Amino acid sequence: MGDKTDVWQGTLALMILKTLETMGPQHGYGLARRIEQTSGDLLQLNYGTLYPALLKLEQEGYVRSQWGTSDNNRKAKFYELTKAGQKQVRRATADWEQTTEILSRFLSPAEEA
Amino acid sequence: MSSFSAKMRAFLVRLRQSVRRRGNASEFDEELESHIAMHTEAGIAAGLNEEEARRQALMKLGGAEQVRQARRERTSLVWLENLLQDLRYGMRTLMRAPGFALTAIATVGLGIGACTAIFSLVNAVLIRSLPYGDAERLVYLFTPNPNLKIPAEVICPAYGDYFDIRRESKSYESMSNFEQAMFSLNERGTNQRIGSARVDEDFFHTLEAQPDLGRAINSDDVQAGREKVAVISHALWMSMFGGRPDVLQKSLVLNKNSYRIVGVMPAEFEYPLGSDMPYGNSEIKSTQIWVPLVLTPQQRAAREPNNNETIARLRPGVTVRGAEAEMTGIMARLDKEYAGDPNGELGPIRQWGALIRRFTDMSIGPVRPLMRLLLAAVGLVLLIACGNAANLLLARAAERARELGVRTALGAGRGRIVRQLLTESMLIGAAGCGLGVGLAYLFLRLLPKLDPGNIPRLNEATLDWRVLLVAVGAALFTSLVSGLLPAWRASRVEPTEFLKSHGAQGDSRGHSRVQSGLIVAQTAMVVVLLAASGLLIRSYVKVVNVDTGFSHSTVTFNVNLDERYSKPEQQVSFFRQLTAKLNALPGVNAAGAVNNLPLTNSESITLMWVEGSRNTEFQQAEARYVTPQYFSAMGISLIAGRYLTEDDYVRKAGVTVINKRLADLYFPHQNPIGARISTNREADGWKDFNTVIGVVGDVRHVSLEEEAQPQMYYGNYQMNGGSVAVRTTLPSSVISNEIRSTLKAIDPQLAMTDIRTMGDLVSLASARRRFQTSLLTAFAGIALALALVGLYGLMAFSVNRRTREVGIRMALGAERGDVLMLILRNAGVLVGAGLVMGLACAWMVTRVMRSFLFGVSAHDPATVISVSALMIVCGLIAVVVPAKRAASIEPMQALRTE
Repeated sequence: MGDKTDVWQGTLALMILKTLETMGPQHGYGLARRIEQTSGDLLQLNYGTLYPALLKLEQEGYVRSQWGTSDNNRKAKFYELTKAGQKQVRRATADWEQTTEILSRFLSPAEEA
Repeated sequence: MSSFSAKMRAFLVRLRQSVRRRGNASEFDEELESHIAMHTEAGIAAGLNEEEARRQALMKLGGAEQVRQARRERTSLVWLENLLQDLRYGMRTLMRAPGFALTAIATVGLGIGACTAIFSLVNAVLIRSLPYGDAERLVYLFTPNPNLKIPAEVICPAYGDYFDIRRESKSYESMSNFEQAMFSLNERGTNQRIGSARVDEDFFHTLEAQPDLGRAINSDDVQAGREKVAVISHALWMSMFGGRPDVLQKSLVLNKNSYRIVGVMPAEFEYPLGSDMPYGNSEIKSTQIWVPLVLTPQQRAAREPNNNETIARLRPGVTVRGAEAEMTGIMARLDKEYAGDPNGELGPIRQWGALIRRFTDMSIGPVRPLMRLLLAAVGLVLLIACGNAANLLLARAAERARELGVRTALGAGRGRIVRQLLTESMLIGAAGCGLGVGLAYLFLRLLPKLDPGNIPRLNEATLDWRVLLVAVGAALFTSLVSGLLPAWRASRVEPTEFLKSHGAQGDSRGHSRVQSGLIVAQTAMVVVLLAASGLLIRSYVKVVNVDTGFSHSTVTFNVNLDERYSKPEQQVSFFRQLTAKLNALPGVNAAGAVNNLPLTNSESITLMWVEGSRNTEFQQAEARYVTPQYFSAMGISLIAGRYLTEDDYVRKAGVTVINKRLADLYFPHQNPIGARISTNREADGWKDFNTVIGVVGDVRHVSLEEEAQPQMYYGNYQMNGGSVAVRTTLPSSVISNEIRSTLKAIDPQLAMTDIRTMGDLVSLASARRRFQTSLLTAFAGIALALALVGLYGLMAFSVNRRTREVGIRMALGAERGDVLMLILRNAGVLVGAGLVMGLACAWMVTRVMRSFLFGVSAHDPATVISVSALMIVCGLIAVVVPAKRAASIEPMQALRTE
């Protein structure tokens, strides 16, 4: 791997984890909507890509899922963060902030000696 | 971003999913359905009609089926699922064609088995490290003498010289002197002769070996007058003391002296083994007891070599050459400083040289070429097995062309088909590997029975990880080599072309050029192996039929006199009594004693001077003491004059019997009878001349494969030990009882040892040759069988595919004989081409075998002819069945079959 989708996969995973952290347990559709909204509708998200990503996070032990009922009284599968997931959010956030910070130094160069 | 453990966890989850294959697809369908429903509801709430809302939800999702697929790929390990599927499918296809599968597996198994077996041997002999620390730094020190026409690696430094070298040289980390000895070990009243060594305090240290129990021999032990101690081997500890830990409080009775046991060596340490020293005591196969080497002050100062051995460990970085240069300097100085023994064999001028040989070259060096030969042979066997398996798979692929074509037409990728076929050959390889390891195990069980006794560490051959690695490697190699070609060909099937032709055969021979090529190559390799083993067999036959000069049926035994027989007249009386009593036994034709039997690695070389001849310095002869009946007992033929008689002994007449070689060399055109020869140098005033009274036939004393040297026999009963030869018509069990009771009547305390016929000694002397010949012949036989199976398979396959063609030929008037000839000609071309190629290769290859041959040239015509004949006859046999089947085809039937 190591191509564009991988980066995308990585960021998507972080988006999912962060959303779950702020919103608590959420089903796939809700997550998709929320991610779109948070991005200020700048992100054209194919909702379907969410499910393999969720499965991967589940296999890695960062999220767990169980069936529940939605606000509209509909049966849906809810995803929530595990302990390992919470740790991963912190770690990934720190990593990402560092990456963007480094990149931003390149993109907006300040006058330096 | 994610940590390693999370990745690992995900991998394991997917692995479990792949193996279980129990999908939770329906659950995901439900989840997806709920997702779409929620999205649709939201759409409706935003004012769309239901149909449009659902359409948009699906679009946004990116297609339900695509999502399912993407999720499925994430659920399990797809490649693993494919592999398992291939395996299951391969297994089923193989099971459907059991004949094919079994033949292929047996073929591959034989090849891998041969490889694994020989590698396990090579591993034990050449590769596995020796239990002596860094064995590459161990060296033997020798002092060859230019005037002695014996191998340079016989004589080690005299004790006096040894201590000087040890003091002056800087090349060695440590040095040791030891002597081999055969001890008589008393165990519960019975005596057992046991290989032992007298060793100095540096022996174990030099070999970097530590006792498992107790201590090694130290510098106190080797002082005169100390308590007698012994270190014993692991094997002896087990057999005599049952491995009990209280062994250190026990004692051993060796040669009637008690020795306290102070140490037990680890199981792998039995140095010196028979193969560790080129000219060691040939009776000692391994060493079980080590006792201190106690030297008197006179011995420590001795400047004449004894029968000691010197081993040393070089300092790191010191080369053999460097050490040898240093030793040469020291020896040159010692040679100047000390005079030789004026009455000694070698005259008044000391000329002991310096020679250093690596221990590994001495012990393993001589068998290296043999190991290489065997490896090359099994390599060929493996290649032939590969060729066979490839041919079988090609035939299978041709039969399955239709199936593969259909699969390609239905969209199976080329890579997928190649992978499928490779999986099948891997399955065959895996089964063959199992079979091969089993065969190798059987071989190792058989190996001790084949042991020629002079291949180091042969009995330690086991299936260790290295050997198993080689077996797996060989299996992988076979699978790839035999699977790739058919797979590549099958994957090139053009589906449209193929479906149009209904899978009919394009090739008029019924088989492909590749298949023929494989058969030719296999035949060529078999011919090379057959030629090699043929040459070895011819050499072996020549060796065992060599005129040894003695009768093989003569029974011999050893008897060693103990300290009670210290006076010469006691020894004379003992041997006189013994031979007289044996000669008086009914059924005994003759019995005579000798100090050294032929082919026992013991020799006494003497310098001699022939009166009235043109003598040169250092003329040597092998000298033996014999009693009168020795010649008749051994069946040594009389050429001129007479044998020794009892009268010669009584009169102490100075007479000698010489062999034909000596007579030919020194008396080329004259009668040697009556000539006088001296062996007493007395500082060059040769004296004590003996008169030649007889000339006898040459006896091969040193080796079966070396011409006899000049030999001289003296009549003498005075020996402190010797061998007795008995010529008898009695069966061996009877005569050994007779000998035992005769000996008991003279002295009940003496035991005879090593009762065997001269034929047994010949057999021992030719054991290595028998070992290599039988192994190589077995491999050539296996190779021949494999190649014939291959040829038979190809011809049967080809006849099968040509049924229709043969039918047409016959319908058009071809006779059965013509059809038979057609098939035979077809096979004949293949075998003929292989034979020619093989003979050409053999011509080049057998030249490197020269060192293994005896009495035959590397291009021996008889071998070439018999190998060719064998190949042709066997080839015919393999082809006759399919050819007859072709000839019996009913034209009508054949035309009807599709």
